[in-house]
Amino acid sequence: MTEEYRESVPVLTFPRQTLVSLLVFAIVWEVLSHLAPYLGIPPFAIPSFVRIARSIATITPIDIVVTLARVIAALIVSFVLGLALAMAMYRSDSLNKYLHPMIRLLMAVPVVSWILFAVLWFPGVEFRIGFVLVVVCGPVFLVDTLDAMHGVPRELRHMMRSFRPTTLQYFFKLILPAILPTIFTSWKVNISLAIRVVTIAELVGAVTGIGHQLSVAQELFSVADVFAWTLVLVALLFLLEAVVARAEARILRWRT
Amino acid sequence: MSGPPPIEVRGLRKVFRQTTTGQAVVAIDRLDLAIAPREVVAIVGQTGCGKSTFFDLMIGLEAPSEGAIHIGDKSPYADFDHFRGRIATVFQQDRLLPWRSALDNARLPLELIGLPEQEQRERALMWLNRLGLAQFTNAYPHELSGGMRQRVAIARAFAVGPDILLADEAFGHLDEVTAAELRDTFLKLARECGSTAILITHQLEEAIGVGDRIIVFGKSAKLLADIHVAQWPKSKYGLLREVIQSTLQGNVADPRLVL
Repeated sequence: MTEEYRESVPVLTFPRQTLVSLLVFAIVWEVLSHLAPYLGIPPFAIPSFVRIARSIATITPIDIVVTLARVIAALIVSFVLGLALAMAMYRSDSLNKYLHPMIRLLMAVPVVSWILFAVLWFPGVEFRIGFVLVVVCGPVFLVDTLDAMHGVPRELRHMMRSFRPTTLQYFFKLILPAILPTIFTSWKVNISLAIRVVTIAELVGAVTGIGHQLSVAQELFSVADVFAWTLVLVALLFLLEAVVARAEARILRWRT
Repeated sequence: MSGPPPIEVRGLRKVFRQTTTGQAVVAIDRLDLAIAPREVVAIVGQTGCGKSTFFDLMIGLEAPSEGAIHIGDKSPYADFDHFRGRIATVFQQDRLLPWRSALDNARLPLELIGLPEQEQRERALMWLNRLGLAQFTNAYPHELSGGMRQRVAIARAFAVGPDILLADEAFGHLDEVTAAELRDTFLKLARECGSTAILITHQLEEAIGVGDRIIVFGKSAKLLADIHVAQWPKSKYGLLREVIQSTLQGNVADPRLVL
């Protein structure tokens, strides 16, 4: 065997620049919080980190759990619906031609409009929030996976068909593995989207959840509480993204 | 073991309609051909002569516009599922699935025919070993060189024990040494397995070196020549190459083809 065997080496990167930029922001914030009275800014507008820490200590875990459950449930429903519809549209060109314009239309509707529609259409708060999340995230999953399905190289499709798979084998042995990288990217995009959308949706009518707590903090003019809950949201986003990134690294290890 | 069935092509015609102009393009125009079981046939022709269309029709991925291909008494298009595990292909590029290891790529057709997992693994390993890839069964395609990837593709084709092997310019993209080595391996294995092999190529050396028969396609897969290589002494291979070349260039059979 004279041919070359190329072994790939995974590359690890350390986000030093990220830490530096966060540190700079924190220092500037802390300095501003102390200088605020001298700059004519009300003290509550830029709370110190001590004050924010006190707000963080009062955070109620149940609100975090409720928001997290809403996000995860809605993302799973959106993904299943988006993938199922994408598969149907991939299989049927005429269905694709009918549905594609409608999907683009849905994606163009602002989140606020969906929230208003949900309030007017549905009496249940949970259903309203779920509806808004699914109607915003579902089309993103659908369009991403459908594009990825159409992007599976013709050569691979041709090879696979030459071995005469059944429809299910064709999907599970070629299409699904081929679109997995896009699915993971879509999950990352949708996690960020869902975290932002759930907060807005919870502002309207919800009596639990981070969005509701943000609404309460706004009514109390408590910037420290807003900051604390925002930090929780950001931490949740990073946590969910880390979970997806870990699954991605494990499942797509062939890429490294 | 009954062996592979004979292949019969009768009045085969394939017409495509160009998507931009709507104009009809005759890719194959009334081709008649018979291939005996276990024959190794090389099909040569210039680019655009209909070789690849013939390949797709043989696999059953395209329907003939007119005429028919019969493998035994079945059509590869109409009886598509019948040929699962009976026809295997090797392509110009290896076309391995990048997310599968060499072993998992080699066993892909075995999964499709529903063999038990243990048997899939054993058969795929056996073929990878035979192709000199015993050390690389867990390597992913991007970790292998072009020649090694093509070996995996050959292992994948043979693993299923097909009646008919189809190779479309399978060695054309490799360097000469690797291509010659793989060609010899392919031919040896095809003969050992008793498969009928059809190799589509534009390289005359490859056709002469591999085929029991060389079929020369002109425009629209017009059958210009059907050469039984065994009738030509090795000392005249140079002349054979010359007359095939002149046949291809003139789009008409060179009279020197009749010895």
